[in-house]
Amino acid sequence: MKNQWNRREFLQNTSTATIAALGLGSPIASLMADPTSPLAKKAATADTVILLWMAGGMAHTETFDPKRYTPYEKGMEGNRVLSTFKSMPTAIDGVNFSEGLQSVGSVMDKGTVIRSYVAADLGHILHSRHQYHWHTSYEPPQSVAAPHIGAWISKELGPKNPVIPSFIDIGQRFTVGEAEELKAFHTAGFLGNEHGPFLIPDPSQGLESVRPPVGMDMKRFESRNQLYNNLISQSAHGEFGSDYQKESLRRSMEQAYILLNSPESKAFNLSTEPKEIYDIYNTGRFGLGCLLARRLTEKGARFISVTTEYEPFFGWDTHENGHTRLEGMKRMIDGPIAQLIKDLDKTGHLDRTLVILASEFSRDMMVEGRPDLKVQEQVKQPEILNDIKFYGMHRHFTDGCSILMWGGGIKKGHVYGKTADERPCKTITNPVKIDGIHQTIYHALGIKPDTQYEIEKRPFYTTPDGKGKAVQDLLA
Amino acid sequence: MQNNLLNELWQISGRLHPLVVHFPISLLWVGLLLECIAWRKKSDQFQSAIGVILWVGTITAALAVGLGFILINQDEYTGNTITIHQWSGIVTAILSGLTLYAFISKETKSYRLLLFLTVLGVSFAGHYGAMLTHGEDYLDLSKEEKTQKIALNPTLHVEKLQGKIDPNQKQDLGIEARNIIANHCYDCHSIKKSKGKLRLDALEYVLKGGKEGPALVVGHPEKSEMIRRIKLPASDDDAMPTKGKRLTKKEIEILEVWVKQGAPWPGVALKSAPSTAAIDQEEEIEENSSVVKKSGSSEDRIMNTSEMPVKAPEVLNANQLQELNINVRTILAHNCYSCHNATKTKGGLRLDKKEFIFKGGENGPILVAGNSEKSDMIRRVKLPFGHDDAMPTKGKRLSKEDVAMLEYWIQQGAPWPSGPEKSLYRVAALEPRMPTLPKATAGLNQPIDLFVNEYFKKNKISWQKSVDDKTYIRRVYLDVTGLNPSPESISAFVKDTKSNKREVLVDKLLANNEGYAQHWLTFWNDALRNDYSGTGYITNGRFGITKWLYGSLKTNKPYDKFVKELISPTKESEGFIRGIQWRGTINSSQSTEMQAAQNVSQVLLGLNLKCTSCHDSFISDWKLDDAYAFANVFSSKTLEIHRCDLPTGRMAGYGVLYNSLGKIKETNITAERLVSLADILVQKKNGRLYRTLVNRVWAQLMGRGIVEPVDMMDNEPWSQDLLDWLASDFTANGYDMKRLMRQILISKTYQTPAMGLKESQMLTASNFVFKGIMKRRITAEQFADAVSQSFFPLYSDSALVKKMLPADIKNDIPFVRASLVKNDPFLTALGRPNRENVSTSRISQANLLQALELTNGNKFNLSLRKGAEIWAQKYQTGESLVKALYLKALGREPSFKEITLAVKYIGKKPSVEGIQDLVWAVTLLPEFQLII
Repeated sequence: MKNQWNRREFLQNTSTATIAALGLGSPIASLMADPTSPLAKKAATADTVILLWMAGGMAHTETFDPKRYTPYEKGMEGNRVLSTFKSMPTAIDGVNFSEGLQSVGSVMDKGTVIRSYVAADLGHILHSRHQYHWHTSYEPPQSVAAPHIGAWISKELGPKNPVIPSFIDIGQRFTVGEAEELKAFHTAGFLGNEHGPFLIPDPSQGLESVRPPVGMDMKRFESRNQLYNNLISQSAHGEFGSDYQKESLRRSMEQAYILLNSPESKAFNLSTEPKEIYDIYNTGRFGLGCLLARRLTEKGARFISVTTEYEPFFGWDTHENGHTRLEGMKRMIDGPIAQLIKDLDKTGHLDRTLVILASEFSRDMMVEGRPDLKVQEQVKQPEILNDIKFYGMHRHFTDGCSILMWGGGIKKGHVYGKTADERPCKTITNPVKIDGIHQTIYHALGIKPDTQYEIEKRPFYTTPDGKGKAVQDLLA
Repeated sequence: MQNNLLNELWQISGRLHPLVVHFPISLLWVGLLLECIAWRKKSDQFQSAIGVILWVGTITAALAVGLGFILINQDEYTGNTITIHQWSGIVTAILSGLTLYAFISKETKSYRLLLFLTVLGVSFAGHYGAMLTHGEDYLDLSKEEKTQKIALNPTLHVEKLQGKIDPNQKQDLGIEARNIIANHCYDCHSIKKSKGKLRLDALEYVLKGGKEGPALVVGHPEKSEMIRRIKLPASDDDAMPTKGKRLTKKEIEILEVWVKQGAPWPGVALKSAPSTAAIDQEEEIEENSSVVKKSGSSEDRIMNTSEMPVKAPEVLNANQLQELNINVRTILAHNCYSCHNATKTKGGLRLDKKEFIFKGGENGPILVAGNSEKSDMIRRVKLPFGHDDAMPTKGKRLSKEDVAMLEYWIQQGAPWPSGPEKSLYRVAALEPRMPTLPKATAGLNQPIDLFVNEYFKKNKISWQKSVDDKTYIRRVYLDVTGLNPSPESISAFVKDTKSNKREVLVDKLLANNEGYAQHWLTFWNDALRNDYSGTGYITNGRFGITKWLYGSLKTNKPYDKFVKELISPTKESEGFIRGIQWRGTINSSQSTEMQAAQNVSQVLLGLNLKCTSCHDSFISDWKLDDAYAFANVFSSKTLEIHRCDLPTGRMAGYGVLYNSLGKIKETNITAERLVSLADILVQKKNGRLYRTLVNRVWAQLMGRGIVEPVDMMDNEPWSQDLLDWLASDFTANGYDMKRLMRQILISKTYQTPAMGLKESQMLTASNFVFKGIMKRRITAEQFADAVSQSFFPLYSDSALVKKMLPADIKNDIPFVRASLVKNDPFLTALGRPNRENVSTSRISQANLLQALELTNGNKFNLSLRKGAEIWAQKYQTGESLVKALYLKALGREPSFKEITLAVKYIGKKPSVEGIQDLVWAVTLLPEFQLII
């Protein structure tokens, strides 16, 4: 009799549990996670990520993977041109960067250059769509809002310092063309607003984001807060029992107050930086963004993205005058990036900070999209160059792009992958895709590769179907 | 023997202390009273009585002190309270002796003084004694709330906590165990009282134990004294707790498993004592609810399986066999189908049908009915991860329970009843159903209330008193028009003495077509993914439907017609099914046709087709072909079925998901098919369409659906009758959305006091019990409008998206309402979704980014500044300004204290800065932000 009862109970319990595990919102499923799994990662090698975003498509042959240099002559054949800059040596023996990037080259003994990133073939070139793909590892559109990599990191690791927002995005304004498309991935998606980006479009104005509103001094700010607290205690609903909506409101208001009142907020004030250092960084908004990123890293930031800013036909998005425009772009990035690496290294932060430089795809003078896959031509590029404005990489190339990484457990003085030395200069060894890049970053941060959330009853992984694998050869 | 008896006597005498103390207390008081009377009457008629009273009082006081000493040594009291009690008791006894002495010596003056002091002393000592016995706060009238027990975690299941568990589980378990201990044991075993020298409020004390030795043996519940005692019957001398409620079976089980798992003691504060740590914990739970974390593989969870006894075969009845089979099929569906089904048949093995599972695969049969040990399937699922034969090769390993279930099933002969298979999943009825109305009872005549009353009776819940007029009017205004009631309408409503004034109010508000449309536009924009900016517009890959939507709401278009026009659209309403088209190649599960299928099914039918648009669903009976057949209806050319973005070579047919509703007209003309689809879906017999709608409206007005989540209408409603009645009544009365709202708004149910929840996860929990309307947070749009309305407009005319709105919109609006402007960082921060995907509920939890936007965001703070400049001109005195602001913003007069605080801040002659800050603070009050 007793046996009978037990069995029935056993059946009942099991089926309830199974059914519960099926349901949305059941934390039982989360209890089942097992950190001792062999798939679980070894200890993290990085706590902070800085993403230096080369927005608009940075040609690999003009930057970190230079090929044969052919100087401009009127009437030259476009097909002869692989690089429009000379190659210059770097700190890694036998590895050259393009002219104008010597400073970055000089710190490559502290990092790795990946020369075999293969961007997705999305059938049509749309910068924002490829950027969406790079930042979320999912191709848009998606039936649920995919989170930005910064949001995933924020969700998994939380802020490193509780008063510094865990996902900071520096340099992108949302008033440019394709702004809506950019917004579509500058989001925490289904992970919820609190993991979304803290936007600082202009790093020199960063302080504005963390200080009292315009026209309010600290003293008034504090007394305003005091008034708020006083009125809450007087308000009819002030002392009612705890309630998550009210609790979260009060808690958030308090956190905001603490951030604005904290010593950390001074990190946003770039004017306190010694002039000679400030000047090295000050090549414009991107350079100052690097400086701000460094200062925030020192104070305990988790994920920071600094972008050269995407705006159609500006920045790296060179549809003409590619050569001339790139001289400027290199001046903008070369000094600040090298200084960022040096500064982080000097203070020891580089050991635990993973710095990544990447772009949504590369460029070529003649090939559009991926070799062998016909993509609608979007740039008029003549076969014979009779005007220097055609001298440059103006078409969109997805089959061989460069990514740089430093610190946070990445190999030093290392080169990974290779592209062909003749057109098409596509990846020939060790191709790596976006899910591999993301998983490498997650690996360094100690985030398990099969991290997933159930949303609308479907599993949603950090990389599609949880399939991506960290590129072990990049890790020290 | 002798010793024992003495010992017992000794103990009993100690226990007499609380009894004896009442003698001196009452006697000395009476003595003082008599003395007072005697003094007033200038008579000495009470002298002899007072004498006796003082004698007995003094002797019992001394006796009480003595017994107190015995008790203190027995029960191990510690802390300040006991010290104070002890010494005041001693002093009182001495004073009482002195009084007696003075009385006898006829030292009238000093006697009277001493008597007074004695009574003072005895009261003082008595008070501290009461604190020891009844708790520190026994005089506090709000005590009930304070001593409320900590709510236990309903999602913790003992059976999931056996074997190896991870740190998160450990943490949850530890917290839960601490909650249980706090609820049941702290009264006697904590910092204030440590009976039997035992404290249970910190791990070190628990491990140290009391005078009877350690309370627990880590890892061994069966050897732990604490577990033994809580399991004893209440009558047993050793049973614990001695006072208060006994532990429930589940609580005991949790403590047992807690001891077994090493008695983890997470260093966080418990919920009853809020601290940062406790709050962090709450946040964690909240996050889990909106999005469930499911990471991690669990290779060695099955290691302990051998410990689980496989029970001997028993005779099961038909129902039990069916249940067992469903359990097994559920396990197979979740863990095996992805590689062993019709589409993918690895190793020639299929597990989705009876004949295949018994046939086995390339390597022969996988199970031997009646012998689990010889069954290859069991061998493989038990192998450690990494072994060549181990199954499953991908994804999670099976849990110990799952393996045990499979073994049990095989031992039972692997029953698989023939005939049509019962679905593994709950599937809601499609047909409408009109339940019989419960009989009207006293005070209830609304059908909604009668059904709720039935539910309340069943769940032993009593009706709460309806809310007052002020609460009601604000609620209804915000729900119908999205705006706060003006101070004038509040006072007129409160003064109104008509008995049907609430109905009159609801009718008046619903008749405000413009206000209603401007408010509900927000809800429908979210649901229909309609926005004024966003992806797709740049390349003409997206179309707005605002004019159509606004017009439909303003004219209260019947819902069947509303749905028809969305599915079989005109130029103005086609945006919904046209989806968002990005340039370039798109994953086939994201084609615009598939988007239409997904969105129509999610929003209108409460059905999630997203899994099914890639492959046969693992979580429902829906098949890839069903999704394609539905999507194909929207397509201008026949779709090829793609499985996980790979072409299958098969072409899609046409279908409407629920075949019993009818067949799509066979035609090449898409528009004609859409007419046919619309006609089929809006039929009355499609109960699902209308249940989905009434449930959404209910959820908006009540803060929680009858079914949750509102997009999963196969889930169980908390009241099937109520849901069915609402839907049937809706279709029987013209598909009238306003009529539906009216019924809800005037119901007694809607007028219940708003309930708060500790954690938002409780809102969608499957064990949710409906007790009344929920507290809600105002939306981004309601917040912006409330600020605009009560203080200064946040949006100027230029913000209005004129091109997308009806030409005469300006005539309809009191000011530029937030539902009619493009999304911006301010509205985003407050929770307006990015409408790239349909979105049918908003998160009411605040967060840091939101708070930062409110604290120093330009939009909000600059608008407040501008408003403050105007108010500074308008109001000459601080007091008049504060009064006006409170009336407009909160619908009430400020209290005297509030006036004082606010005027002190803004000044007697209000300053611009002061006003700006005051308005900021007032709009951030929970009172402003919550709908109660």
